[in-house]
Amino acid sequence: MTKTDVLVIGGGPAGLAAAIAANDAGADVLLIEREARLGGILKQCIHDGFGMVRFGEKLSGPEYAERFMDDFAARGIAARLLTFVTELKETPDGFTATVVSRDGVDTIKTKSIVLATGCRERTAKQVSIHGTRPAGVFTAGTAQHFINLLGQMPAKRCVILGSGDIGLIMARRLTLEGAEVLGVYEVKPTPSGLTRNIHQCLHDYDIPLHLSHTVTRVFGHDRLTGVEVAEVDGRMQPIPGTEQRLDCDALILSVGLIPENELAERLHVPLDPKTKGPLCNEDLMTDVPGVFSCGNALHVNDLVDYVSESGETAGRGAAAYAKASAGKGPGAAGTTLSAGDGVLYIVPQRIHDTAKAGKTTVYFRSRDAVEKSKFLIKDSTGTVVFEKIYPFLRPPEMERLELDFSGLGLSAGTALTAVIEEVSG
Amino acid sequence: MRSGKRLQKKLDKAFDGAVHAAYEDGLIRLTGTLSSWDQILKACRMAVSGDRTVHVVNDILLDGAEPLPVRVPSLSDKALDGETPDVLIIGGGISGCAIARELSRYDLSILLVDKEADFALQASGRNDGEVHVGVDLSKGSLKQKYVLLGNRMYGALCKELDVPFRRTGQVAAFTQVPLAPVIFLYVQWRRFHDGCTDARFRGKKWLEQNVPELDASARFAMVNELAGIVSPYELTIAMAENAAQNGAKLSLNTYVSGMKTEDGRITEVYTNRGTVRPDIVINAAGVFADDVAELAGDRFYSIHPRRGTDILQDVKSGHIVNKIDSIMTVNKAMLTSHTKGGGIMPTVHGNVLLGPDAVECREKEDYATYPESIRNVYEKQKRTVPKADPRDIITYFTGVRAPTFEEDFVLEWGRKCRNLYHVGGIQSPGLTSAPAFAADVAAAVAERLSETKPVVKKPDFDPYRRGIPHLRDMTPEERAAKIAENPDYGVIICRCEEISKGEILDALNSPYCPPTVDAVKKRVRPGMGRCQGGFCSPLVIQIIAEHEGIPLSDVRKSSAESVLLYGPSKGGAPHDED
Amino acid sequence: MNTQTLVCINCPRGCTMQVTQDGDTIAVTGNFCPRGEQFAHDELTCPKRTICSTVQTAFPDTPVLPCRVSAEIPKDKIFDVMNEINRIKVDRRIARGDTILANVCGLGVDIIATSDLLKPAKE
Repeated sequence: MTKTDVLVIGGGPAGLAAAIAANDAGADVLLIEREARLGGILKQCIHDGFGMVRFGEKLSGPEYAERFMDDFAARGIAARLLTFVTELKETPDGFTATVVSRDGVDTIKTKSIVLATGCRERTAKQVSIHGTRPAGVFTAGTAQHFINLLGQMPAKRCVILGSGDIGLIMARRLTLEGAEVLGVYEVKPTPSGLTRNIHQCLHDYDIPLHLSHTVTRVFGHDRLTGVEVAEVDGRMQPIPGTEQRLDCDALILSVGLIPENELAERLHVPLDPKTKGPLCNEDLMTDVPGVFSCGNALHVNDLVDYVSESGETAGRGAAAYAKASAGKGPGAAGTTLSAGDGVLYIVPQRIHDTAKAGKTTVYFRSRDAVEKSKFLIKDSTGTVVFEKIYPFLRPPEMERLELDFSGLGLSAGTALTAVIEEVSG
Repeated sequence: MRSGKRLQKKLDKAFDGAVHAAYEDGLIRLTGTLSSWDQILKACRMAVSGDRTVHVVNDILLDGAEPLPVRVPSLSDKALDGETPDVLIIGGGISGCAIARELSRYDLSILLVDKEADFALQASGRNDGEVHVGVDLSKGSLKQKYVLLGNRMYGALCKELDVPFRRTGQVAAFTQVPLAPVIFLYVQWRRFHDGCTDARFRGKKWLEQNVPELDASARFAMVNELAGIVSPYELTIAMAENAAQNGAKLSLNTYVSGMKTEDGRITEVYTNRGTVRPDIVINAAGVFADDVAELAGDRFYSIHPRRGTDILQDVKSGHIVNKIDSIMTVNKAMLTSHTKGGGIMPTVHGNVLLGPDAVECREKEDYATYPESIRNVYEKQKRTVPKADPRDIITYFTGVRAPTFEEDFVLEWGRKCRNLYHVGGIQSPGLTSAPAFAADVAAAVAERLSETKPVVKKPDFDPYRRGIPHLRDMTPEERAAKIAENPDYGVIICRCEEISKGEILDALNSPYCPPTVDAVKKRVRPGMGRCQGGFCSPLVIQIIAEHEGIPLSDVRKSSAESVLLYGPSKGGAPHDED
Repeated sequence: MNTQTLVCINCPRGCTMQVTQDGDTIAVTGNFCPRGEQFAHDELTCPKRTICSTVQTAFPDTPVLPCRVSAEIPKDKIFDVMNEINRIKVDRRIARGDTILANVCGLGVDIIATSDLLKPAKE
């Protein structure tokens, strides 16, 4: 039996930031990581572009993660590696976690929990790819693991389905390492990844991007021998007659990320169907008092800088919760913030204390690619309480803003809705 | 012969003289040329007679089509050359492995070969794992006889083999109230006439209380509490392992390419691993049973492949179904179909399984999936359990059934070849029936062998096979004890299914495990969960490579050709020639 | 006079810029910050990129070590630099930021380690 104030589950960028923040707030912290090393997915994200917001530098993934790992180590925060949480339970005075490692089975008693479990990739079957089941179908993250951590080539000539950032990054990585990338196929009419990645990963290497196209079939019994691609209509259904067979040895999938919330579900933490992460308040506390969420488990981020930021918010919140050892209640004041027209999602979804001084960080994504638009927050009567104009909004690019809810003159228990309205002209 | 003329007349009318029927001893051979596979199937079905010992043999050519090649292993060596087993079993599916295990009770030399890279790789591993009760079968067929016997063997068998099995019960519900009296009588008939002792008629109230997952349209049902679920590939592998434990020799990647027969006996069997000279050959080759029969000059039945696709949902949705459920609306199409139309059921690992459908296909190895199968299965099963949701899909797979045109098992000695035993036409309920017919086949073979040599049961036969421990299912105390014994049990590799490195190593060290990603996955489940191996496959590949002492690029998914990695990214200079 | 559209890759904002070249003068609009203008100038005169890759190591537990160029290199030298990277085998324990190969292809830029994977363990 081990005791702690704050148990951080996950040692990626969110968990590291949460642990550091909770430690700085004076809490006793224990971090649990299932892999052999800290750093999470950044270990394999060897490309640069991380940390522009936080450090004003373009760091590679390992460089970014290791800066936090250095801070973590300097503080002497306790971490258990190769340790897996098998069970989480709520108790009258907090929570218990059952963990498994080479040392056996241990129970950890904690006052609060930060879930920093990251996300997983959507698989071939989840996007309805049919045909045979040969070797050579990899998610982009798995292909990245093979190349960047094991130094092994999973493909020589491949097709990439999905224009998510990892897919774009992998198109460049595979090309640099000597593989041929026949093209990136995206079922939607607009790219899923960041515009700069379309340019620096595809255009720079003459890799074609085929929008409104998808992979419909896989061929090959042992190793993949080819794929069938087809154009899709407005409902994203393949258009008969547009099928084309491409000979290749691998299909790399970058078709979406899903927050991993299996542990949250064991604690009956309610999830937002839009983010697939927990519903949270401004401290990133879930509807289960004492349980906090951050990083890609909360919602899928495109910038690690914001992952770290949410980790810090959750870590501070968890430390404060542990210290007060009493819950603030799940949005007891009852102010909710929900995604309305034009908004794909918004985090946090609850504001516990709108009168609180200071600013609340709000993250949202636009549902559609729009030009000059108003981001509005309306109260339940439809009155606009906040407005901001954006020159353009794109679903792949998450927006962040700091909002002082205390200045909005809200009464407790208001149901707020965020909407995006395009400004004509 | 009168029936022969009548059949020819019918065929002439339907196919304009393109198909000729010839009655030979105990079979009806159809020849000619037709323009589509559907037409060929139609002709063959037309020729099926009432006599279940007379089989239709399909020699009709498909106009303009080349014969389909069989996928064969690339391996070529002499590992089996000169072997002279008492019994050679061709096929490492549920039939072959069950027979190997039954035969290993006797003091005999047994060799089992399969062309695939693992056991249960095709039909036996690609089905829904339902242990049937035989409610749709009438007395007189081999299927009906063995499904009843087999079903009742499962409890003890799965205990011996340490394989998960659960009698969940089966509910076949109906929507049309006016049919209730008919179904009531049908249930009584099955129960008292056909030996389906567990068949019961249940009304709406019972269903609401006991099967709350069912759609409200269910009005009454036939319920069979003896129906169950098993992991079909784990059972097959367990049987193979137990046979090996008891002395049977197993050889995968081994393809039977030819046979030499003399005086109605097989004397030599040619394989890619050398020539084998067995006393007796058992043909348990699944969809290829008729092809193997042909090698021995003894093809008196034809297999026509029938594809079925099953869908597996995430364990998260496991709570939506507790029994093997189906809701039927009786119509003409249903009465003439060769499948009950599948169902929705739990799996022994807590998933939800939906399917299968049934699609006739020409290709015996057409394991592809098609979007329409998924759509059809959901459309149907959502009417049974409304909570079935395609968003919970983690995977889907296709198996190919191996029916004869008579749609019954073929379990008999060769008609022209005396030392060949046919285990053909094995399709649903083949999995349920296999333990029962395997015992009969083994007894028949032992008896035949005893004509020329003494055959005795081994006193030291061990029916027990120890499975690999599932640490996830243990109490913390049990788990801690296992980890203390072997710390690798504490290193979780597959996060979705919570599988440890120790379990993976146990699989690799089990009596007969090909060192492949798929073989490990079949035995201990890393990669079976919602991420489908995205996170764990690099780790599993590393564990296999380390265990085998081979480079990472030598680890295969399954067959020798199923390359996963092409080798180091560094070391060469791929852009030198630019 | 020649006008083209460029997307700045400096930061995730990815500004879409209109770049007009008239002889030696380059006019840029649509950029949010001065880095966009610099990027546009570079793109038209000498486009530069950062590349990241891995180098082989002699340590079995770490088959490859992440690396990158210490500063941007001309875009047309990417594959020349990759060739050099592919030839390297690191056989000593180095730390993040340490130079693996100095002055790669004579570009005045080093290949540096971007991880502490091989960092010598502290006493």
